[in-house]
Amino acid sequence: MTPEKPLVEVEDLHVSFRTPHGRVEAVRGVSFTLGRERLGIVGESGSGKSQTGRAILGLTARNGRIDAKRMTFDGIDILKASPRTLRKIRGARISMIMQDPRFSLNPVVKVGEQIAEAYAIHAKASRRVSRRRALEMLETVQIRDPEKVFHLYPHQVSGGMGQRVMIAMMLIPEPDVLIADEPTSALDVTVQMQVLALLDDMVRDRGMGLVLISHDLHLVASFCDRVIVMYGGRIMEVLEAGRLHEAQHPYTRGLLECLPSLDRRQEMLPVLDRDPAWMTEARR
Amino acid sequence: MIEIENLSITFGEGASAVHAVRNVSFSVAEGESYGLVGESGSGKSTILRAIARINPTWSGTIRVNGRTLSSKRSKAEARAMQMVFQDPYGALHPRHTVDAILREPLEIHGLRDRDARILGALRDVGLGPEFRFRYPHQISGGQRQRIAVARALILEPEILLLDEPTSALDVSVQAEILNLLKRLQQDRGLTYLMVSHNLAVVAHLCGRVAVMNRGRMVEELTEETLRAHAPAEPYTAQLMSATEGYDREAVRGYRTFD
Amino acid sequence: MTMATQPRAAGLRGWLLDPSPASTWQARAQRGYLGWVGFRANPIAMTGFVIVAALLLAAAFAPWITATDGLTPNLGARLLPPSAEHWLGTDQLGRDIFDRIVWGSRITLYIVILVSIIVAPIGLAVGTIAGYAGGWVDAVLMRIVDIFLAFPRLILALAFVAALGAGIENAVLAIALTTWSPYARIARAEVLTIRKSDFIVAAEAQGASTFRIIRRHVVPLCLASVIVRLTLDMAGIILTAAGLGFLGLGAQPPLPEWGAMISTGRQFLLDQWWVPTAPGAAIFLVSLGFCLLGDGLRDVLDPKSASA
Repeated sequence: MTPEKPLVEVEDLHVSFRTPHGRVEAVRGVSFTLGRERLGIVGESGSGKSQTGRAILGLTARNGRIDAKRMTFDGIDILKASPRTLRKIRGARISMIMQDPRFSLNPVVKVGEQIAEAYAIHAKASRRVSRRRALEMLETVQIRDPEKVFHLYPHQVSGGMGQRVMIAMMLIPEPDVLIADEPTSALDVTVQMQVLALLDDMVRDRGMGLVLISHDLHLVASFCDRVIVMYGGRIMEVLEAGRLHEAQHPYTRGLLECLPSLDRRQEMLPVLDRDPAWMTEARR
Repeated sequence: MIEIENLSITFGEGASAVHAVRNVSFSVAEGESYGLVGESGSGKSTILRAIARINPTWSGTIRVNGRTLSSKRSKAEARAMQMVFQDPYGALHPRHTVDAILREPLEIHGLRDRDARILGALRDVGLGPEFRFRYPHQISGGQRQRIAVARALILEPEILLLDEPTSALDVSVQAEILNLLKRLQQDRGLTYLMVSHNLAVVAHLCGRVAVMNRGRMVEELTEETLRAHAPAEPYTAQLMSATEGYDREAVRGYRTFD
Repeated sequence: MTMATQPRAAGLRGWLLDPSPASTWQARAQRGYLGWVGFRANPIAMTGFVIVAALLLAAAFAPWITATDGLTPNLGARLLPPSAEHWLGTDQLGRDIFDRIVWGSRITLYIVILVSIIVAPIGLAVGTIAGYAGGWVDAVLMRIVDIFLAFPRLILALAFVAALGAGIENAVLAIALTTWSPYARIARAEVLTIRKSDFIVAAEAQGASTFRIIRRHVVPLCLASVIVRLTLDMAGIILTAAGLGFLGLGAQPPLPEWGAMISTGRQFLLDQWWVPTAPGAAIFLVSLGFCLLGDGLRDVLDPKSASA
């Protein structure tokens, strides 16, 4: 439990989208706080986990609507904040990394330049200083040949290296909170572990708050301090990471049980029985 | 049923040549379920695509049912061996109804009783007749993958090539598809050759597993050895450790294997 | 995941919205209906649709809308201004201009349909074969396309008509010759994007012949782009035909082709403005209508801008 004031407070968040088929609610009444800790948000596709992360940063799509009783970051009301305030917060104080660096990096700009730009925008530094900082950052994310990688284009770097570049770019302004939306889903399993180890070190060294959004319950439980389980836009359960096996909610239990396990043989996997009541109940 | 001898596949030439598969040999018995496991660039998918003749150049021998494969696919071979792809969103033609998708193989091979076979195929994969005239964008990812399996099975093949069939699916849907695949194999005595990066999925379906890295076969394991966490090779041990969840100390010890 | 649920409507609408269609025909009708609903919601598209529909109706019901056949001279009623009796006035031979424009819509439609029937299939065929086959087939076919692309449309049409003689059919052929090549390019571009898709590979794995794959898998996906481009091109086709007519190389007098009407009427522009202006306005309106229709069709048919 963190005794200090939480970094992010979200109370009763609703995110809905206007579509030709009517109003679609992606997030329906989500509340949580984030301190200087590692919080995981786990859910399947359509659970609303990504939209929750984007709402914090005000990155919801244009046809979306955000409603909440409260949404604050470090005391600042980000629900009612002006676009100017949000722009100052984004990148500098709250950062986000996404799933596939091939799509989140600008394909026609060298990766080093992109990192340098991320620094220059917020520190208002000169080109020379920004480039030097970018090279330092590349070293910090354990890229072995920073000079060479600086001049590469995104399509020339592998998946794992691309994510390290993303992390460098997003952490160079030294934000307080990092939101990672499926940062390792597109990576090989050993590279996943290495990228997570990097995130682990950086978050710990800088005392940041981390929100890790993923569909992989075991991964999140092994990495984070607390885990939020989402389904149908709502929170089903909040767990302490080490206590996954004590999960109470039938959805969480169902999710755990339907995963094939390497340790024991099962003839048929138990199948998740979706209770329609989960779509309407409020979290206890 | 399937015999691979000294298979090597290279893309490109000269300095930029990529040796995707290097001298791989294994065999799959009839009715067996065999897994190819590895990370990206290991060559596992390349082997599968060579057998399916999607990439038609290789050196070495591929024998299916005693007959050596050539780079050209024959119609008879299409009836004996079918493939299920990874991405349910790309595997079905967006403008064809489910009925059209299932009817096509029947038309190509001149089979009769098409309506009965189509309804039967839908039933076998657990879908009712109400799906018959829907378009792919009207059905979910898991249901699409079921249609892909139905399409593969409607010609009653003996061999099914599975290329990461559940990687793109939600965990709960994955369980349903894995159960479906297992049941179908038991009911029809199919031979499976499955490619995956997920050790638990492979252990669930396959009796024997080949671990691949950078085009080479590292070792071949039985399901028991896999479940006992007793691999012979350090690469396999590292792969298994990575699938067990995040462990900071373990990650420190990771190295690259060539 | 939340889905918008509606109570089952009855009758035709219910049949069109039924989530479990019972036949291929019903499924296709449903798709068409949903496309129409999306199209209907776009006011610009509907404007274009109304204009084009008006053109079609005018051409179809010409005998009933017009008082005369628009061809017989009536020298006693020359160059009369627009009035209750002659809605758009009369031309230099006393013929009612409104009637001539309505009869002329048939000629316009004839030209447009003929060009489309020639251009779309040839462009599709060349483009899909080139894109699917690849290699030297692709190279050769695309060089042929390049050759035709290099000609400016009106100049080649002029040369062709000058060689073969004036007349609507020759004008149509000339226009078609210069119009088909972009469609080959469009079709080829679409084919290249889907060439490696899993559903194509699956069809190949089932033993489908190349012809079957092109016909049943590739062409349906190229059709949308070709239709949209064709609709947008119609304005250009109409203008080229009008240009040829203006130069006396298209439809021959006394046929009421709109371009020819402008040509023969232009000497009256200052004093009897209605004589060349009416057919000019007709050309403008119909071209605009096709452009708007094409825009609307693109929004409905283009999968990138459509939502599921």
